[in-house]
Amino acid sequence: MIKKILVLVVLMSSLFAYDATVEIVKKMDKLPKIALQDASEANVDTNFRKKFFKILVGDLRVSSHFNVVDDYLQSSYKGNLEDNFLSQLNLDLILRYKILLDDNGVVVANVKLINAKSGQVDSEKSYKISKKNRYPFLAHKIAVELNDKIGAPSIKWMEQFVIFAKYIDAKKSEVVISDYTLSFQKTVVKGGLNIFPKWANKAQNAFYYTSYNGIKPTLFKVDVQTGKRNRITSSEGMLVCSDVSKDGRKLLLTMAPEGQADIFVYDTQTKNLEKVTKYSGIDVNGNFIDKDERVVFVSDRLGYPNIFAQKIGSRSVEQMVYHGRNNNSVSALDNYIVYSSREKSSEFGVKTFNLYLISTKTDYIRQLTATGKNLYPRFAEDSETIMFIKYYNKQSALGVIRLNANKSYHFPLKVGKIQSIDW
Amino acid sequence: MTKLLFTSLTLAILIFSGCSQKNPEVDATAGNGTTEMSTADKKADNLSGMDSNNMDSQGMDKNGASAVEKAIAALEANINKIYFDFDKYDIRPDMKTKIEENANLLNVAEAVNFSVKVEGNSDEWGTDEYNYALGLKRAKSVKEALVAYGVSSDRIMMVSYGESNPTCKESNKDCWAQNRRAEFKLLP
Repeated sequence: MIKKILVLVVLMSSLFAYDATVEIVKKMDKLPKIALQDASEANVDTNFRKKFFKILVGDLRVSSHFNVVDDYLQSSYKGNLEDNFLSQLNLDLILRYKILLDDNGVVVANVKLINAKSGQVDSEKSYKISKKNRYPFLAHKIAVELNDKIGAPSIKWMEQFVIFAKYIDAKKSEVVISDYTLSFQKTVVKGGLNIFPKWANKAQNAFYYTSYNGIKPTLFKVDVQTGKRNRITSSEGMLVCSDVSKDGRKLLLTMAPEGQADIFVYDTQTKNLEKVTKYSGIDVNGNFIDKDERVVFVSDRLGYPNIFAQKIGSRSVEQMVYHGRNNNSVSALDNYIVYSSREKSSEFGVKTFNLYLISTKTDYIRQLTATGKNLYPRFAEDSETIMFIKYYNKQSALGVIRLNANKSYHFPLKVGKIQSIDW
Repeated sequence: MTKLLFTSLTLAILIFSGCSQKNPEVDATAGNGTTEMSTADKKADNLSGMDSNNMDSQGMDKNGASAVEKAIAALEANINKIYFDFDKYDIRPDMKTKIEENANLLNVAEAVNFSVKVEGNSDEWGTDEYNYALGLKRAKSVKEALVAYGVSSDRIMMVSYGESNPTCKESNKDCWAQNRRAEFKLLP
């Protein structure tokens, strides 16, 4: 009798049904397996449907929070348990979407998230975008919300604009605003040499850039909505806005008023300019750290480019990296610094630049890339994601590293060469 | 009796455990008319472009420009480009004579009233911000050498073009060496 009760108790505990989604969230080491189903009707052209699918499936893959089925699958929107639940794939989730186009160019996506085990619809929502060419942002929004729904760490950075400059010819470059996959691009500055664009604030409604079209290099601030630009300052030699303080008030500028490149802090309200570095060689690429009171930067004061830090207003300088003989580009967030380092030539004679991640508090160092020319790293706000420029096979690409998943993705630029990036 | 109790209990448990503790919510928002606009869509509405060509016109007065332009072109054709080693901005021994020749040319009567812009350039290796600074150091080294050879410092401006102005685009050592240079432009 007692044996029977014991067996019953064991059976009891295993029989209580569970919410598959919640279980998946709790154990992120087991990624939910998901397939996408396109339920759009025939009036939406195949080419557009395939492009949309590619972005959406790519977003889920880049998030590294899903085990994604790459196949392009179709279904009716309503579906039924037997036909459309792909039981042979042993899925956890199905994301079924239907794209609708109206005469005004508006694109609507009706989206269902289906629990593939139970066949139940977890949620259903509609999204829209007012112009067809912005479809990447529609896909990104769907991916970001799906990711939130399963309780994974936010991937909101996917909805951010990226701003970059690209060389199109000698002494000619344009400033472009895009999504992180470069599928949406809008040229916002063209004509002559326009370089080093930098967002002025988190809202991404203004940016700085350097124009070489006047007598001296000049820094402008552009209002994204009106296209109106205001002159900030000029400098002989060179001028770059390398960082903006969190409140948007102060800029770190690399400028050379006497032909000597140094880092300055510019207060946009008082118009005060304060020189930070005083070394007679190269000091560039300043980044604010420690509540915008310190600057981490690149300097050749040891005879080769390396990474240093200095408190604004103080003369003492701290070396931050003790590895590598040419560390020429840096980005910092909280206690982490990522930099680009030139490796020794390989036996095949090809120069490689790799990205490394270090902590300012410990001896932790981690190599992030292995091959090619990896430059210009920039942290996202969430510190799990780094964007950078990758050059390979005579082509430049926007690279994205997802640190926790230890994965790297590249989005090639078809025309031109990426000069600098920000997001 | 015990058997009946046992069977009922088992049945009851089976029935209750068949009900999931959390029912997946069916969120039937579709058809309710609420469609969420992407934030980026609203931001993208605001993007406008501008053409710098229309804003930065620094053209010379057209009348009489052609004679000056010709004189400048003739002088510039005879100015030596100065080349640098990888990652370096000091003047190489084999370049010193060339700078001296440039200084002499810049001080002839036909040239002495023009300003000189020394343009520093780099090859494609490394991140561009560092390369702009490297190009500027090259321009500065050349300026200092010109001054040492007798060109007035007030006449000389410097600018760096970093990697933006290559003369060749092949991926080989010869091409990279050609791009690591300082060039000269004369201004009226």
